[in-house]
Amino acid sequence: MKRATLAVVILLALFALPMVASGYILYLANLLMVFVVLSLGLNILIGETGQFGLAHAAFYGIGIYTAVLLNNATGAPVLVTLLAGASLAALIGLVLGAISLRMRDIYLALSTFAFGEAVRWVFASWTPVTGGPNGLRINPSNLFGFKLVTDRDAYLLVLVVTLAFLLLTIQITRSRLGSAFRAVRESEIAAAAMGVNVRGVKIAAFALSAFYAGAAGGLFTTFSSFIHPESLGFMTTIMVLTMIVVGGLGSVVGAVGGALILGLFSELLRQLLSFQEIIYGAILMLCMMYAPRGLMGLLERKQAGR
Amino acid sequence: MNAPASLLAIENLTVRFGGLVAVDHVSFEVKPGSIHALIGPNGAGKTTVFNCISRFYQPATGALRFGEHDLLTKPRHRLAELGVARTFQNLELFGELSVFENVLIGTHSQARRTGWLDLFRAGNRPGEHRDRIEHALEQTGIADVRHVKARALDFGRQKMLELARALAVRPTLLLLDEPAAGLRNREIDALDAMLVKLCRTDGLTIVLVEHVMQLVMSISDWVTVLNFGTKIAEGTPAAVQANEQVIDAYLGREQADV
Repeated sequence: MKRATLAVVILLALFALPMVASGYILYLANLLMVFVVLSLGLNILIGETGQFGLAHAAFYGIGIYTAVLLNNATGAPVLVTLLAGASLAALIGLVLGAISLRMRDIYLALSTFAFGEAVRWVFASWTPVTGGPNGLRINPSNLFGFKLVTDRDAYLLVLVVTLAFLLLTIQITRSRLGSAFRAVRESEIAAAAMGVNVRGVKIAAFALSAFYAGAAGGLFTTFSSFIHPESLGFMTTIMVLTMIVVGGLGSVVGAVGGALILGLFSELLRQLLSFQEIIYGAILMLCMMYAPRGLMGLLERKQAGR
Repeated sequence: MNAPASLLAIENLTVRFGGLVAVDHVSFEVKPGSIHALIGPNGAGKTTVFNCISRFYQPATGALRFGEHDLLTKPRHRLAELGVARTFQNLELFGELSVFENVLIGTHSQARRTGWLDLFRAGNRPGEHRDRIEHALEQTGIADVRHVKARALDFGRQKMLELARALAVRPTLLLLDEPAAGLRNREIDALDAMLVKLCRTDGLTIVLVEHVMQLVMSISDWVTVLNFGTKIAEGTPAAVQANEQVIDAYLGREQADV
């Protein structure tokens, strides 16, 4: 009951935010919500299913470029461009998942890292399509005929889509598919003996996780006017990984909390790009040493009376 | 239609690991509704046979028939759906998950029977699965620890959880790999009664690999003895206990001479 009240208060505050907040605050809110969708997606793959896929930024980029190119060329409604980006990312995620089935642990991490870097190279080099190193201008998205020009215009859309992904995640986590994800993480052998199609579940986790990343990319295009391949490299994957580790792997609330905290950090340190990496590294290390199960782990311990 | 004489038939099963022949032309049949023990010294190939039946190992030659299914044509994750469940010698629990969720995953194969949409429904909703899970928890005596993480249970209860999870599959054939290993005498007696009840009352067919002879000899209807990958004897517990070859290879003289 107390939790429900809290949820309603937060929801009302989120929907009322545009009435009081400045454009910058709304920009920040939009960006943080994109991070939330990104970390919810990576949490499904790494936190729930235990598969160390490190190509999240690539799927994010695929979502962004697909949405932008479709938007700039046709002016298609934003929900169409967003869904197209997410679906293409999911499709490529499915293929990557199928190819990666034979690998696990560090080999899986390395090969998906290589895939991510290859995709970033495509973004940076396919100049006629992506604008290459010059980046690409994003035309305002079209929502039922309205042009989304400012952060304020995009805010409600970003909020509703983010909430939809949050609800979807909670439902998946509670579902039998969610149990199957966790079973594969805990013991592939036992999972198979219980009738879980381990290969199918791994591929589904890859595709679903990529779908989230692609959708996050689509959301990004609704309030941004420019995209550059430099922001779609391994650093971004590491940032999202830090978010879910700090929040607590395998926890939905943790993924959201981690995204908000580290997203704020990254924005505050925007002027100090090189410091950013040092600080992520330090946070990751501190987390591993003192809170290996993240903020959620700390909370649980506190609730259990230490 | 005649009822088939055997639920599980293993014919000429041979398994090689590199140059080593772990199982060499082993054949035996398991009658429906029976408790069938597979015994023999360490390294005799008992667990290897289990791993073939549950499709973790691919035999070099041989045939495996379960009911009217040719098991060698089925991927391992389809066996639960056909009604074959197993436990593991060295425990393969989902350690970070609760006892309840461990058993819940045992019902996973029924998603296919109840439709794919079932995959997206909450696993802990009331209904058929819930009843099945509660029943399995009650049968194995671990209902009171349902919210505890599997990793945090004591060894005896972890063993019971393995069994509960396998029961949630709704198996017709239950493969138990050393269910009594490491249990205390009192726990073995409880297991003894539980297995007999599963077989006589619920109609399950049980194949077990076991070293605890007290359990094997008291509950088994039929015993197959392996030694160095070959079958050296089979029969009723009494017949096997009197078999010279079995005494030499496994049971030992003093024990049999009593």
